[in-house]
Amino acid sequence: MASFNLYSRGDRIFGYANAALIGLFVISTLYPFIYLLAVSISSGAAVTSGQVVLFPKDLTLAAYEFVLSDRLFWIAYGNTFIYTFGGTAISLAIMIPGAYALSRPRLRGRKFLNLMVAFTLWFNAGMIPFFLNMRDLGLLDSRFGLIIGFACNAFNVILLRNFFEGVPKSFEEAAKMDGASEFQLLWKVFIPLSKPAIITVGLFCIVSRWNSYFWAMVLLRGEEKIPLQLYLKRIIVDLTANDEFASSLLTNRYSFETVTAAIMIASIIPVLLIYPSIQKYFNKGITLGGVKE
Amino acid sequence: MSAVELNDVVKRYGALEVVHSVNLNVATGEFIVLVGPSGCGKSTTLRMIAGLEEISDGTISIGGRVVNRMAPKDRDVAMVFQNYALYPHLNVAENIAFGLRVRREKNEVVEAAVNEAATILDLTPYLKRKPADLSGGQRQRVAMGRAIVRKPKVFLFDEPLSNLDAKLRTQMRAEIKRLHKRMGVTSIYVTHDQVEAMTLADRIVVMNAGRVEQVGSPMELFLNPANAFVASFLGSPPMNLLRATVTSLNGEPAARIDGVHTDAIELKLPVSFVASLEADQRILVGVRPEHFSIGPEAGAQGQPIAATVDLVEPLGSEALLHSRIAGQPIVAKLETPADVRKLSEIGELKIPTDRLHVFDAASGKAVSGHA
Amino acid sequence: MTSRFVGYFKRLGEDLRRDWQLYLLVLPMILWFLLFLYKPMEGLQIAFKDFSPFRGISGSPWVGLENFQTLLEDQIFIRAFLNTIAISGLGLIFAFPVPIILAVMFNELQNEFGRRVSQTIVYLPHFISVVIVAGIVINLLSPTTGVVNLILSSLGLDRIYFLTQPEWFRTIFIGSNIWKEAGFESIVYLAAIAGISPTLYESARVDGASRWQMMWRITLPCILPTIIIMLIIRIGNLVEVGFEYIILLYQPATYRTADVVSTYVYRTGLQGTQYDLATAAGLFNAVIAFALVFTANRISRKVSSTSLW
Repeated sequence: MASFNLYSRGDRIFGYANAALIGLFVISTLYPFIYLLAVSISSGAAVTSGQVVLFPKDLTLAAYEFVLSDRLFWIAYGNTFIYTFGGTAISLAIMIPGAYALSRPRLRGRKFLNLMVAFTLWFNAGMIPFFLNMRDLGLLDSRFGLIIGFACNAFNVILLRNFFEGVPKSFEEAAKMDGASEFQLLWKVFIPLSKPAIITVGLFCIVSRWNSYFWAMVLLRGEEKIPLQLYLKRIIVDLTANDEFASSLLTNRYSFETVTAAIMIASIIPVLLIYPSIQKYFNKGITLGGVKE
Repeated sequence: MSAVELNDVVKRYGALEVVHSVNLNVATGEFIVLVGPSGCGKSTTLRMIAGLEEISDGTISIGGRVVNRMAPKDRDVAMVFQNYALYPHLNVAENIAFGLRVRREKNEVVEAAVNEAATILDLTPYLKRKPADLSGGQRQRVAMGRAIVRKPKVFLFDEPLSNLDAKLRTQMRAEIKRLHKRMGVTSIYVTHDQVEAMTLADRIVVMNAGRVEQVGSPMELFLNPANAFVASFLGSPPMNLLRATVTSLNGEPAARIDGVHTDAIELKLPVSFVASLEADQRILVGVRPEHFSIGPEAGAQGQPIAATVDLVEPLGSEALLHSRIAGQPIVAKLETPADVRKLSEIGELKIPTDRLHVFDAASGKAVSGHA
Repeated sequence: MTSRFVGYFKRLGEDLRRDWQLYLLVLPMILWFLLFLYKPMEGLQIAFKDFSPFRGISGSPWVGLENFQTLLEDQIFIRAFLNTIAISGLGLIFAFPVPIILAVMFNELQNEFGRRVSQTIVYLPHFISVVIVAGIVINLLSPTTGVVNLILSSLGLDRIYFLTQPEWFRTIFIGSNIWKEAGFESIVYLAAIAGISPTLYESARVDGASRWQMMWRITLPCILPTIIIMLIIRIGNLVEVGFEYIILLYQPATYRTADVVSTYVYRTGLQGTQYDLATAAGLFNAVIAFALVFTANRISRKVSSTSLW
């Protein structure tokens, strides 16, 4: 029974097995990214002949040269920046004041308005009525439409509202006694005090804007307005089946596979760049929102 | 003209009335302390004066103006909160300046006012620090700085010292008193700590269950408590109250102290009470712990009464005796003799007849008799 | 009576005058909700109409439940509905436990640095768009150059064109979803585990419990409430499947197992412009979703004494 080790032999074996399993999961998470990277910097010939599994073969940046010289790639990239940052700015500008007001007990009709927001978590009109509504509002094929149409969502509003509700009452009372107006109260007290929640929601907005493609596909017509994800979708998904296009790309230097891998890597890079700063907050965001989904 | 005037102020939450018809006149420059146990309505009353709670009935005026529906900012009052409510994202100077900034005062005005407040409160070296980097006492001073910088007609304090440790509390108490002397601004201060009330107040307002029990200077309240509640609330340890019945002893008024698991004990009452007592009236006899004495040297007036000592708590120069008189628990405070152990062997205590308090048991009201 | 009425309006007026800024702050958001989430509900009536874009919503004639009748007689819709339940149900069985297992395993990892690094890595795929995930899947499963088929052929097995085989679709869909979300979903459970008092483990160790025993007797029972709540949420969202991802992965050859209600709505409505039928299908889905979520919330309120929202 008595052991001078802090852990018994069984416990240590358990620890190693556990670490090994996690290692396996980590590797399988990373592998697709490494594979993509390897494909994107290999020659088209090496990839099409099935020689690239983990390490790149015949190192070349030809695929990137091809992608970066595509005018549409840059347009899509620029559009995505507009949608991501413009959209996030508008989202925060509408949701922060709204959630703040909803968190104040003196707002008359607060219960009703809160229910009105929460109800949309449970029920929404659906794809077709939403689309027809956008059409009626004249927001088809419009950058502004794509930005404003998805500015708020109930989950983020509730997350912000809950955070504002948790701000100790005396901060507000002290500011009121000092004569702060409602705007000053929000701007000088609540927003600085709620930075973690606001950054969390901001990051949620950025990530979802950056990654979304569906409504851009439905609402936009021209090529000039499409975001990166839609550009990716058109090339990766729609053209995969198109052998003619695929073979037209095939040269010794790059192939359809290396080009699509390069596009994907290029669109992942910004996510990887902000990922460390997101990480700090999403833990918080999850706990902020409790288990709310 | 009073600085603050409360007339029949009532606070109701739905059907629940938590403050019943409070009347109070606060003179300009006066330091008033609202004291009472938690839930007695003292904080609610203060918050009604501040404008943070609506008034259900009655009127509150500040500087002669009725402020019932007036926003807090227009009442010309400043408040120090229990948790200080310092903005963590602002440094000390910005925290102090906040009230002036939101009123869009000119920069020079703000700076001058902040510097002045910082000088008064010894905060000048800390102006650039954030609240998180300050000690408890410094935070407390910043909270006061935020109040004084506005130069309000009235200061409101909501248990400002309850977050500090005992030593700091004593220190800050003295500082608040000094500050009040220096600035002379009317102050209303809420606390549950009777020591704070005694040391700070020009006048104390004792509240209980939403009512004002008594208003008066600390010594008035201490010497002549209007009722058993005030008597037992002020003083540390509190006044002992012995359940008893009025009788007469050789033609003079006396109390028969109820025996608990033991015989009743007779205790003479001052002759001056005779007019206000009735035979067989149920009363509470009040004795302050420090008025007990032992031995012959403690004075001749005391009448000896049998007591058994359960426990002695030496505090240094004094000691507390947890004892029983006629089986009812009391606490006596005595000077510690050279040999503390002697105290536990005491068989009787002396009670000075002329310092006894008597309260009607049913109403709790003091029976008058004192000169 | 009237004086109370007058008093009410007087106070209302005073409050509005005092707090007008507050109402101004909430106004844009309320307008947004009305314009983009509530106004479309008006369009739900076309589920009960023979809708023609030229006549508009109000001009189209009512047809009662005819659209629903058509749907219920449509084998494709029935199939889509059953597929929705099947994909969700399989996801519940296979994907739901993974984040729990991951969280428990992370908790057992002693090396602080290794733990932080591995968590950072497994959270990452959550932030990658479904388009890229689909791209990766297409790449890895490609019959000619995909790694999976390279391995199969080097083992002497036949190459499989995975994405055209209906029997493979659900495996691929659920598998790649686990890859994308399991790590991130483990955060909720890790937060619950972090809330367990360390003294429980310490006293168990003094009593001689092994790590395996502590995992089963302390960690899991302590996070059981969280697991139950997450399970209820999951069941509440049973008719929600990641259709935006399905659209990227499915093709006519795999509709048999891959087509769900939302993709059906998308095809018939947005690609086929049969708005009335598609709206009816969407409404059908939404009503079931609403009932499920509502019930789930009720249950969780009972189970955990805190409602989900």
